[in-house]
Amino acid sequence: MGEMALKLTSSGLFRRWLGPAGIIVLILFVFFFPRLMDKQNIWNLFFLICLHISMGQSWNILAGFAGQSSLGHAAFFGIGAFITRTLWFDGIPFALAFLIGGLAAVAFAMLIGAPTFRLRGAYFAIGTLGVAEVLRITVSQNLPFISTMSGPLIAAYDLPVRYYLSLGLALVTTLAAYLLLRSRWSLGILALREDEGAAQATGVHVLRHKLLALALSSLFAGLAGGAFAFQQISYYNDAPFSPLWTFDALLITFIGGLGTLAGPVVGAIFFILVREQLALNLGEVHQAIFGILFILIVLVFPGGLVEAWERIRKSFKRK
Amino acid sequence: MSNLLNVNGLSAAYGDIQALWDVSLEVNEGEIVALIGPNGAGKTTLMRSIAGLHRPLLSGEVTFGGTALQSLPAYRIAEQGIILVPEGRKLFDGLTVLENLEIGAYTRRAREKRAQTLQRVFDLFPILTERKDKRANTLSGGQQQMLAFGRALMGLPSLLMLDEPSLGLAPIIVENIFETMKLTNEQGVTIFLVEQNARRALELAHRAFILEQGRVAGTGTGEALLRNDAVRKAYMGYAPSEARIT
Amino acid sequence: MSLESFAQTLLFGLFVGGIYGIAAVGLSLVFGVLKMLNIAHGELLMLGGYVSFWVFNVLGMDPFASLLIVIPVLFLIGLALDRVVYRHVVRLVGEEKIKNSLLVSFGLTLVIQNLARWGFTPDERTIQVSYAGAGLNLLGVTLPYTRLGGLAIALVVTVLLHFFLHRTYPGKAILATAENWESAELAGINIHRVYMLTFALGASLAAIAGTMVITTYGISPSVGILWTLKALIIVVLAGTGSILGAFPAGLLLGVVEALSGAFIGQTYREVIGLVMFLLVLILRPQGLFTRH
Repeated sequence: MGEMALKLTSSGLFRRWLGPAGIIVLILFVFFFPRLMDKQNIWNLFFLICLHISMGQSWNILAGFAGQSSLGHAAFFGIGAFITRTLWFDGIPFALAFLIGGLAAVAFAMLIGAPTFRLRGAYFAIGTLGVAEVLRITVSQNLPFISTMSGPLIAAYDLPVRYYLSLGLALVTTLAAYLLLRSRWSLGILALREDEGAAQATGVHVLRHKLLALALSSLFAGLAGGAFAFQQISYYNDAPFSPLWTFDALLITFIGGLGTLAGPVVGAIFFILVREQLALNLGEVHQAIFGILFILIVLVFPGGLVEAWERIRKSFKRK
Repeated sequence: MSNLLNVNGLSAAYGDIQALWDVSLEVNEGEIVALIGPNGAGKTTLMRSIAGLHRPLLSGEVTFGGTALQSLPAYRIAEQGIILVPEGRKLFDGLTVLENLEIGAYTRRAREKRAQTLQRVFDLFPILTERKDKRANTLSGGQQQMLAFGRALMGLPSLLMLDEPSLGLAPIIVENIFETMKLTNEQGVTIFLVEQNARRALELAHRAFILEQGRVAGTGTGEALLRNDAVRKAYMGYAPSEARIT
Repeated sequence: MSLESFAQTLLFGLFVGGIYGIAAVGLSLVFGVLKMLNIAHGELLMLGGYVSFWVFNVLGMDPFASLLIVIPVLFLIGLALDRVVYRHVVRLVGEEKIKNSLLVSFGLTLVIQNLARWGFTPDERTIQVSYAGAGLNLLGVTLPYTRLGGLAIALVVTVLLHFFLHRTYPGKAILATAENWESAELAGINIHRVYMLTFALGASLAAIAGTMVITTYGISPSVGILWTLKALIIVVLAGTGSILGAFPAGLLLGVVEALSGAFIGQTYREVIGLVMFLLVLILRPQGLFTRH
């Protein structure tokens, strides 16, 4: 995976596939298409896709680029949602609440980051899962009720605004990932993924690079949580802390292609569209299907759709 | 003397890196055959390939008393009567000396006779009797080598392979090990030995092969190779003209 | 706090700890031998509970007797899962293996949980035996039969497991494979069969825990991950080098939780375990009961 992903991460997949014209068309599409259709389920669908792009991309920064597979991603999403919601309901202007929510997620991440990063591989994954679950259980036990928007907030509810927020977030997250790869930090971070020991031996300040990746990862996951809190009219307080959010981020990234820039985007689109279809037809069981798909991808096709696409392209080029 | 082990044109690789090229050798029943050569020559790879730990092979055949081994997994090969004492001993550290020995007699054939074999191993290595309920990782290096040897003997091997048995051991222990190998061989066990200590190996062995950079570079009787100048210079640290210390 | 209520709390801690211990030993066995982390362990526990539930309702069998059916069923499920899924992960090495086993079992968790929710409905199920409220009364302390039976089973199973692992050849093969799989193969042990057997054994142990859980707490499709986490915490506390050490570690956690619940407050019972876990992970990663 390493060689392929390095090529894909650093070359800017979008540029190779679409060219600048293609990107402009894509951006115009996502801006105007939902407005054109102006149907609630289209707005919601696009919102979900963008939300999941942010979740996938943020997990990808930590796991795909820096090689730290965290299973506690939901913690950041949950904190962002919780703080944003609480502040916003208390009267603080949403924009401010939104930003503070994201920063709160980063603060939390920095707090647990230093100790948990001392753990390697499996222990890190379990440790992060454990932390996320502590959070979820604490919230679940102390606030076991549904959080609902007040009357005035519902009256002022504007779905398009929510969508454009999540669209903006998805764009910013992807841009941040892209810039990270072009920054002077990129080599250090990617080196962590390949071989942490070797990276340390060549002078890479391991902890600093890990914390940077973690900061970005938690920031965007937290902001995604804030977007969720903005959009959902009511939900159980512990819902944004559910490990399902972590799993979705993992699934999207793996389907699309771990460690690539386009992976989470492609994966999110695929995942949401297929999920909506399956949920319609199969109801409850659709998650089981995704579970099986995930297992197949991990075992058989770890490069995901992006790698599959690359292989097809290459075989065409030879002809 | 019949051909017990026959290796024919064996090639093996680690991913893209080839380690063995077309290696052919044979070990006759009742012999002690040594394999010497520099570090990284592929001696351990060859041992592991014969014992079934390195699979799949690029090419070649390994036959043992008529049975083809090259596609068999390691546990099947152990059932055939080939037991490998791996490099670095690789004992079951958390288990006791006795448990280590008992597991050595796992195969059906060995399990039947295990009480007698155990007694023989204890006679051979009295120190193991004393420490039989102690954990394997509390033993000294030499004792661990004895345990590894004993564990292999519990499997009732017809061919005993040893990879660097003298590695990291004090000279007096090394002597002990070599004595034990000689004794075991006299009791009817064929021995195939990889050794860094070329001099002692050639003194003990009936025949030897030299492996360099994954290829067989030479063969001969133990005595002949001991006297060979090129071998002496390369593996025993001196040429005839430097034998005298001024 | 009176002596009686302290003793009562302590005993209840032991009762719960027995369940924890059995749940953890199963996970510890799989991790120690296959070197894989099975996040779906809790789902197997949940399935065990459900089998016990259906056996109780359909055949009218006492949950303790139902183990005769629960254990083989989950044993077979374990065999199947190993053959179909985990066999492909076991082949890998080191970091990649552990990472992949986490991901694959994470996926499996969702599959099983979802199918259970669809098949069994999300409702919580419990088993109420005829002797549910009754118990022994010793020196002012109550020992309910259900809990006592559970702890007894846990102890018996642990002793049997110890005997199996150390005194029978299949058991010794498992221990050897856990120590060094290459040397085990060189001794003539078919490690693929060992892996399959061990995984199935782990599933059976989870099932036993599941039966104990449904008679004391209750089971629903979503409890799986909570039990996996509990078992993981205990495995880390005990140290991964000691398979059976997970049992006393489970008892310890049960007692600590019960005591802190009584002295600090019930809401913090869950959290104390997780805090202990994180502390051990950071300060003494080799665990409390390992020698190294």
